[in-house]
This record gives sequence, C-alpha cells and structure tokens, in this order.
Amino acid sequence: MLKSKTFVKKTRSGGVLKIVREHYLRDDIWCGSEVCKECKDEAPVLQEDACIESNLCSYPHYLIPDTNVVLHQIDILEDPLIRNIIILQTVLQEVRHRSATVYKRIKDAIHDKEKHFYTFTNEHHRETFIEREQGESANDRNDRAIRVAAKWYADHLAKATDNGPLKVVLLTNDRANKEKAEHHGLIVYRCEEYIKSLIGNPELVDRLALTPDDQNEITGSKLLFPEHLPLSRIQTGIKNGMFLQGTFHANRDNYLEGTVFIHREGAVTNEVLLQGFQNLNRAVHQDVVAVELFPKERWVAPSSVVLQDDNPDDEDAEEDETETENKLKSVASESSALKPTGRVVGIIKRNWRPFCGMLSQSQIKEATRHLFTPADRRIPRIRIETRQAATLVGQRIMVAIDGWPKNSRYPNGHFVKNLGTAGDKETETEVLLLEHDVPHQPFSQAVLSFLPKMPWSISEEELKVRADLRHLFVCSVDPPGCTDIDDALHCRELENGNLEVGVHIADVSHFIRPGNALDQEAASRGTTVYLCGKRIDMVPELLSSNLCSLRSNVERLAFSCIWEMNNNAEIIKTHFTKSIINSKASLTYAEAQMRIDDTTMNDDITKSLRGLNKLAKILKGRRIDKGALTLSSPEVRFHIDSETHDPIDLQTKELMETNSMVEEFMLLANISVAQKIYDEFSECALLRKHPSPPPSNYDILIKAAKSRDLEIHTDSAKALADSLNNAAIERFPYFNTLLRILATRCMMQAVYFCSGMDNDFHHYGLASPIYTHFTSPIRRYSDIIVHRLLAVAMNADSTYPDLMDKHKQSALCSNLNYRHKMAQYAQRASVAFHTQLFFKNRGIINEEGFILFVRKNAIIILIPKFGLEGTVFFENKDKPSPHLTFDTEGPTLKVEEHTFHMFDKVKVTISLDASNIQHQRIRMALIEPVIPGVSVPVPESEPEAKKPKLDR
Amino acid sequence: MAAVQVSEAEKVYLMHGVRDGLRLDGRRCEDYRHMEIETDVVSNTDGSAKISLGHTDVLVGVKAEIGKPKPTVPDEGYLEFFVDCSANATPEFEGRGGEELGVELSNILYKVFNNRHSVDLRSLCICPGENCWVLYVDVLLLQCDGNLFDAISIAIKAALFNTRIPKVHISEDEEGGKEIELSDDPYDCMRLNVENVPCIVTLCKIGHRHVVDATLQEKACSVASLLISVTHKGMVTCVRKMGRGSLDPESIFEMTEAGKRVGKTLHAPLMELLQKEESLGKKRQKVGFLG
Repeated sequence: MLKSKTFVKKTRSGGVLKIVREHYLRDDIWCGSEVCKECKDEAPVLQEDACIESNLCSYPHYLIPDTNVVLHQIDILEDPLIRNIIILQTVLQEVRHRSATVYKRIKDAIHDKEKHFYTFTNEHHRETFIEREQGESANDRNDRAIRVAAKWYADHLAKATDNGPLKVVLLTNDRANKEKAEHHGLIVYRCEEYIKSLIGNPELVDRLALTPDDQNEITGSKLLFPEHLPLSRIQTGIKNGMFLQGTFHANRDNYLEGTVFIHREGAVTNEVLLQGFQNLNRAVHQDVVAVELFPKERWVAPSSVVLQDDNPDDEDAEEDETETENKLKSVASESSALKPTGRVVGIIKRNWRPFCGMLSQSQIKEATRHLFTPADRRIPRIRIETRQAATLVGQRIMVAIDGWPKNSRYPNGHFVKNLGTAGDKETETEVLLLEHDVPHQPFSQAVLSFLPKMPWSISEEELKVRADLRHLFVCSVDPPGCTDIDDALHCRELENGNLEVGVHIADVSHFIRPGNALDQEAASRGTTVYLCGKRIDMVPELLSSNLCSLRSNVERLAFSCIWEMNNNAEIIKTHFTKSIINSKASLTYAEAQMRIDDTTMNDDITKSLRGLNKLAKILKGRRIDKGALTLSSPEVRFHIDSETHDPIDLQTKELMETNSMVEEFMLLANISVAQKIYDEFSECALLRKHPSPPPSNYDILIKAAKSRDLEIHTDSAKALADSLNNAAIERFPYFNTLLRILATRCMMQAVYFCSGMDNDFHHYGLASPIYTHFTSPIRRYSDIIVHRLLAVAMNADSTYPDLMDKHKQSALCSNLNYRHKMAQYAQRASVAFHTQLFFKNRGIINEEGFILFVRKNAIIILIPKFGLEGTVFFENKDKPSPHLTFDTEGPTLKVEEHTFHMFDKVKVTISLDASNIQHQRIRMALIEPVIPGVSVPVPESEPEAKKPKLDR
Repeated sequence: MAAVQVSEAEKVYLMHGVRDGLRLDGRRCEDYRHMEIETDVVSNTDGSAKISLGHTDVLVGVKAEIGKPKPTVPDEGYLEFFVDCSANATPEFEGRGGEELGVELSNILYKVFNNRHSVDLRSLCICPGENCWVLYVDVLLLQCDGNLFDAISIAIKAALFNTRIPKVHISEDEEGGKEIELSDDPYDCMRLNVENVPCIVTLCKIGHRHVVDATLQEKACSVASLLISVTHKGMVTCVRKMGRGSLDPESIFEMTEAGKRVGKTLHAPLMELLQKEESLGKKRQKVGFLG
C-alpha cells in the first residue's frame, strides 16, 4: 500500500520547497514477541517471560518508552536489568534527529542480544501508520503515533495470549500524553514512578536524569545567571554580526575564566576572553556558544592567577563569589595587554559527555544531594542526587550532566557508572582512557566477524599473484617485547655489485577490506594506543599479534618496497610489490647491535644487517646535511614487576645504532611511497606534513642560548640543525640535550592531510618535500589508506569511491589527527601516573635537575634521570612570598638574593603528594641553592607546602 | 501543430454540415466535446489539474516559489508560464519540434492570465519590494486533438483553484532584519481566488459560420480563428486572431458575442464541479493517468 508523505521546508537560500516522499505500508511487520503465533517472526526478540519485579506491575510486561524517556533516561535503559523494551520507529527517528550520541547508544542497546530490545517499525505498519491531521503539531502527531502503536501492541498481545497476563506498559513523562493514553485504556507510568517501583534495585534510581520539574525543587529561587537567548535570536544575531559563534574552552587553572575560539573565517577577533561567573553564563568546556563582545573600555587582560573552585558547600558560596571576582578584576587591570572580552548570551550546542571524577560527600550526613568533582579541572562541579554516597566515596565515578538551570550555581547531573577505587591502577587507566576519548571497548561481534577464519594459510591465488620472497634473509628489528611487528628488512648483494634493499611491511589492507565493520572500527580508532604495560589495539589481536605480525619462521603476506642501491646509498631503482615473506629472525635492537658488532658472526642475517647499517649511516648523513633536525625529548621506560605490575625501576630510553638504522629505512620507504601515491593520485593522496613554526616560537630558544653566549639561527631547518650541533659547553655535556628538548617544544604538530586540499606539503623536521606514513599499518590507520592507494597505483587491488573522495579523506584525516593527539596525551598521562606510582613506592628522593623554564613565580625543573618535569613555586597562599623579580629578557627570576637562569643546575627533593586522591601529584622542593625561607633542608623530612604540579 | 489531411470532398461535406448547424460528431456549433477534469493529480506540485477534452489531454502543475517582485509593481506577485509540448502528443514535437508552439502558447497564456483582473496578484505579495510568490505554471501537452487553448485555460483555472500556497509570516527583529518564517503545519496554507480567472474560447471560422471546440479536421477547414478570453461575468479580457485568413469586422463582432455567451456557460459548471470534487476531501478515489 502506498502513501505519500508531504511536507514543506525552507531552503538555505530562503526558498520554500515542497517535498513529497513515497511511503510504503506493509502488513508483514511482526510484533517480535515469543508468545505471538500469528506473526511469522523467525527469531522473536521479546521474551515470553518478561518479568521484572515491580510494585506497580506484577505481571510480565514489555516497556514502550516515548522519545523523551529515551533521550533523557538512556543511562537507565542501558542497565542490564532493563530488558524487553519495544523501541518504536517514531521514537528512534526523533532520537536520531535530536541527539546523535543517544541514538548511537540506543542502537547499541538494540543490537545487544542480552537486552531483548525490539525495534517496531510502526511507521511502516499498515495498522499503526497515522497521518498528521489538520491543526496537529509534529510532536502531537508523534505522540499519537506512539499511543496508536502501544494500543496496537496491547490488543495484539491480548489476542495472542487469549487475554493472558502479558501486557505492554507505556513510559512517558508528558502529562497530557499520559492522560490521553490512559483514556485509551493503556497502562501508562511516568519513568520515575516506574523505576522507583522496581524492587531491589535502588541504585537505578540514582541514575534517573532529573527532569525540569525536579530541578526546580532542589535549587534556590534566586537567579544567579542571565537567561540564555532563544536560538532564533542567536541566529539572527550571528547573521548581522552582533554575536559571535565559537567553541568555549574553560581555563584549566582559573574556573572563573575561559576563552571562546571563533569559528568564522576572516573574523577580526578569533579569540574572546570571558571572565566572571555571570559572563561565563553556564557555558561548559567544549560547548558551542554565542558571545557578545564588550565595548573596548570593558576589555580586560587574562589574569595569571590560579583559582580553584573548592568551596566546601554549594549554596552559601555566592558572597565569596563576588569577592573573588573583584580580586580577579583588580589583578587584571594592572596589566596593559587587554584582550577582546565578552559574555555568553546563549548556548548553540552543548557538548556534554559523561565525566569521570569523584564524589565530594555532603557534610550533612543524611543528605542525598552531593557535589561531584570531575577529574578534568575545566569542567565545573556537578550536583548529583544519590543514596549510595557512602559507598561511592573514594571511588572514581562517571556522571552525566542533565541541565543547568539559571538559578543554580552548579549544573545538575546524575550518576552513571562506578569505575572502581581511586588510585587503583585499573581504575586510573580506565579514567585516563575515558578522559582522552580513546575507544577501548572490546571489539564487537560485528567487527570480529570480518576476521579471517583460523587456521589460516596463504591461499593458492595469493601465491600466484604475489612475489615470492620467502627465500630472502629477511629479519625484523624491534623493541623488546614487541608482538605487533609491522616491518622487516633485508639487504643482499647483487651480481652487478649493487645492493638490493627491501623494506617489508605487514599487508594489513589485505585483511581489512574497505567499508566493512572491521574497517570502520579501525578508522574510528585511528591508532593503537600504547600505555605503560597496556596496549589498546586498533585492530583485533588475531591480526595485530598474529596474522599481520611479521614474526620469524612463519609465512606472512607483506607489501614490499625494494630498492636497488649502489654502495653510496644512491637509489638506482625503486620497486613496489605485494609479496610473501618468511622472516628468518625477530631481533631486538640490542640483539641486532650485538650481531653487527660481533666480528665472529658471519651468517646471512648478520651480513644483511651490516649492509643495512652501512647504508643507513650514509643515508642519515645525507639527510642531516639537508637540514633534518635531531630533536630530543626525555623518554622513560618503566621496569614493571611481573607479579604486581607495579613499576619497580625507571630509566630513560637508550638509543642504539640499530634504532636509527631501522628508522632510516622506514623514512626512505615512506618518502618513496609518498612520492609514488602523489604522482598517481595528486588529488587524494594521504600525506603527512610538518609545518615550519612561526619565527616567534623560537624566541625562548634563542634567549636561552644567548644567556650562555651561544647563537642559534632559526632562519631555516638547516641553520637550526647546524647551530644546535655546534652548541656545546665544556663540562656541561647535558646542555646540548637540554637545548634540543627546548627546540622540540618550539615545533608545530605534524599532521595528516589530503593532497587535494592543501598545497604546503613540506615536512620541516625531516627536511623532506613530501612525506607519508606507510610502515606501520598494524598500529596506524593512515598507513592502511596509504597501502590501499599504493595497491591501486600498481594494480594490485581495486579502488572504491571513498578512497578517491578528497572531502571524505579530509574528514578522515582530521579524525586521525585528533586520535593521534589524544593517544599522545593519554600516553603522557599514563607515564605520569606510573611515575607517581613509582615515587609512591620509593618515598622521598633527592635528585639533581636543570631549570628548563623560568616563569614569573616559579621555575620548571627537568630531572634527566627520570625524564621528569616539575614546578617549584615561590609563591604560597599560607605564608608570605619571598621577594621576586622577574626579567623577561633573560629570562631570569631573582628570588631574594639568588638569580635563577635557564639551564641552571639545582637540587630538589621529590615526593608524592597524595593529599588530594583525585589529583595526586609529584611534589618538588628546592634543596640547592640554599635560599633562606624558600629552600628546604636536605634530610628526608616532609617538605613545606609547596604546590608543584606535573606539567604534562 | 498537429494536422490531419482532409480531402476536398471531406472538406465540402464538413463545411456544408457546419452551414446547416451540424458537425461530424453530431454536436451543434456551440457545443463542447465531453470533458473530464481531475485536480490534485501530481503530489509534488502545489496545485495541479488534468483535463481531457475529446482526445486532447493536458496536464497543468502550479509550483509556488519565493521570488523578487518586478520593480514596476513592487506589491504584486506574478505568474510564469511554460508549455511543454511532449513528443507523446504527436511525433512532430520530438526534439525541438514543439518548442516554437510552446513559446507561442506560453506568451499567450501570460497575456491572458498574468494581470490583476484575472488573478489577485496582490495576494501573492509577501513583503512589498522584497519578496513575493511566483507561481510557475507548467503545462504539459499529453495528446493533441484540437482546441488546445480552451483545454489549457480550463486546466489552468482548475489547477489554480487547487493550488495551496504555504503560509508564511515575516518576523522582524530589532535591527529591522526580516526573516521569512514558514508555518510548521502543512495544512496551514493560502488559497487563491479564482473567481475572475478567465477561460479561453476559441472560435473557428468555417465557411460563413463559426464553431467552438473545433476538432483537428474542422481546424483543417478553417482559415482563421478567434481566441477570446472570457470571465465568468462575460467580460472579455483578451482577443486574438489566429491563422492566416482574414475576418471581416462584422463576423468578429458576431464571434465575440458567441464567445461571451459560451464562456459564461462554461464557468458555472466548472466551478461547481471543482467545489464538488474538493468536498469529497481526502477519501476521494483518485483516477490519475490510468483511468
């Protein structure tokens, strides 16, 4: 049966369009219940025995939630206790329209077999489809559609069970809807009512999101914030330039300050400063907001004050608020560097996600309302209602925000999940993964279904089309304990005296076909994340550690890049091919180094390694001549106890000749491939660039060198590399490393991009005109795309539309860049956490360090032994601060009588400050030079209350 | 235009018949052939009608779009016409064959309908000088069996009657910026007053007499015809002579009188029919193109 759906729509250009869609109604849509004999459903989803103990419904029943219940109470619906739910198509469509995240979550719940969620396509069912009536709003129509479908179910089930006990229950929070439904003889409950009636599950009640009615009850009547403007006013305001649209970023150190980054291109101001409670007007970090710019005379400068919102209780805090705000202003007005300032007039899009953090229990014993302190300091504290406060104290929990009424100081939220005891390694790892948005759930069944069947072997067809390189003496060189080996190398002498060098990369794109669930999952994860003692794979383990991993003495599929080189490492011929290899050895860097150095060993693998090493040295020399930078950052490795998994020792990573040997050939392969795919696909090659930093970035480096009477040239990468090489001070061997660490901080981030969308391809750090990532497809998705492009270029594989679409590829690149950045942050956070664990076990340590930066009121110190950075503050809340003089030219800081320069050697004592369990930190205090009143005595007494923080 | 070959003998027979007030299909000189009208036949237009007159089949669709009013009349909307001579109608229309006729027809339709005596163009104004509704009237010839103008005009009147223009209102913010807002309810729409929309009556001069609604054969016997657009009150809004032959003033007068008479009697049953059809509402069984 055919119906047409008609609606009118306004187009962007202001036109009016009448849109007509054909709508087919069917009579073969089943109810999905086990009890129903009439419907010919082969695998009914809804159980016959749909029992859940409830005071209200003693009979088995199916639940039908309406749209708002799904949108707001998704946390409840996701609970394993809640099963046998009918999600109507009307509801699903509305949810999709209103919130993409909730839609994804409800879809996941529907796919979960254990949950017994059934989607009923009521809009296509002949008996439940309704047309919008005259004078009926779209919402009313949908509500009616839900009621009609619920009624249909009630009648249908009654017929199927001969008026048996099975019922349907409609959940709605809309009063009018509820009345109408009751009028039609349906069983209807409000969501709260129903959840509270469930026997034996009090924790579910905590997860109820607060509805607007409830919110009014629990907040004072005094208005704290100006009202947000309606969206229509905001839109016209943005159009005529009265408001600016941007993303709100809260200040990490000062909860009363934030910045809005304006999206519009060519805007005069692209950053707007917001200061004060009223002006922030309930914006939460990452929200898209509309701001109004103040006239110039009200502009202020960003304050450098550290302010933390640590009022013990909520409501009485208002007086303090104005006080702190005044303080803020007086500090600000001193400075002359005024910035565009404004206020938030409305929120365009909330970007709330569930936040990790801890509960700060209310001081009143029996209270059910508590404040929640998120781990991310940029997020305000959230008020939640819970009856299990006593059990949640000391636990890491997740909380979602429900709303922020204008008469409440804090946003209201509800409890979502308990992650575990704070300080616990598993819990903290979970927290840092969640906070860095690293997807780390186990791979879904859909993803796993695309894995090859085991036992796996190379098929006949593959043998036919691939180059057989099994006879070559290929070996891999990796860090110890590496199970995802993506690259292997070989080198042999040819008859004409030239050398043949091969880089063999795991052929991951053979296993991950474009567009399937496995591919989508990998694309979304973007990268494998390495934490201390834990790896979050981008592809399932079967691939990452087995089928793709180029382990020794097994046949593996590879993508090979083979060069013919002369003894001077000049490339004579480049050749790419899909191949089959059989690695003869998986070595660690140290093992490889030993073989090269051991003159008694003369087997084929060793000879091959020596050849590679010789060529690598030439290649490296040539690269450095061209101006490639050798940068440095202190990296540490933990020795992890095999039993307790606690770090027992810590050392900085050591670099061997073989490290740079492998690196050199990977660079060469990447550059060769980049050139090849760019030649073939100039519009859609996925490349990696490293923009040269703006000259001002180097200011600090130049100043620092100058303080030691050295000159650093930063006109080009080459000049920088040379002057870094020449910068050395006698009796201070670590100075050069320090300079290089500093230079690293001046650099820009390298990013992926699509060649059709950009015209600057240069890779500054490597001094290469073109670059890409080809050599680690197991752990980077970018490499998979590059593999596919290369395979298409040499007719080894077929192409697909998305690969050639530069806009799609550009979108992919931004996801990859985001994931890489987040992975890096997560990695650093993990190192920081393990460093803390380490110092927890070691107690207080005295160590030597160097001053890396000099700030207005603090110095930042690097401890080379641990690769650890910490801050020593000279200002303190509790006691009078010493006399400080800061000179920006040096930069130097004079504390009382002593002047601190960059790179000065100091002695500090390091300990773990566990007073705040959520933000445990490494505490550093000065021992040497001795400054009375500032430094602390050497013995291992507890240092004074300095407030250092881990700067990572 | 589609033409039939008529032999000399046939011509004489036909002309003698007309002289005696008898036509080949048994009609009298001022009779129309059997006519069928259905409105709302194309769902993605704002108004549509299909008419078959004898074997002449015409489909008319009206689309309303927001445009800028003409500078000379800032407070009026306007109509645009496009006639598509489908090759379905006759093989001669294939390729660009129907183009010339199409342009001619649309020019005439523009003259007849796009004036404030026919349609209340003021009601199409949204915001004087800035926005107005433009009604795009698309005419599709499906089959030609003579008397295209009359069929088209009746179909246009029916389609305009059927047209529902979405209601808009203009919201103004403090700075004077104007924004067109669309009603959320698809039933909330504006109707046109089609009372004064004229119908075209074509009179064919055959011998010394004239006939209305000439078939192709009758057309072949005629040297000139007069096109008269008449409102329901009998007011003539447009007269145009077609064909190569000449007409003497006396017969023009006679023909105009006849046209008025016929036109008046055409409007009343048409309106009655359209209203009756509409009263059936949504439950009406649609005939469409296959009926």
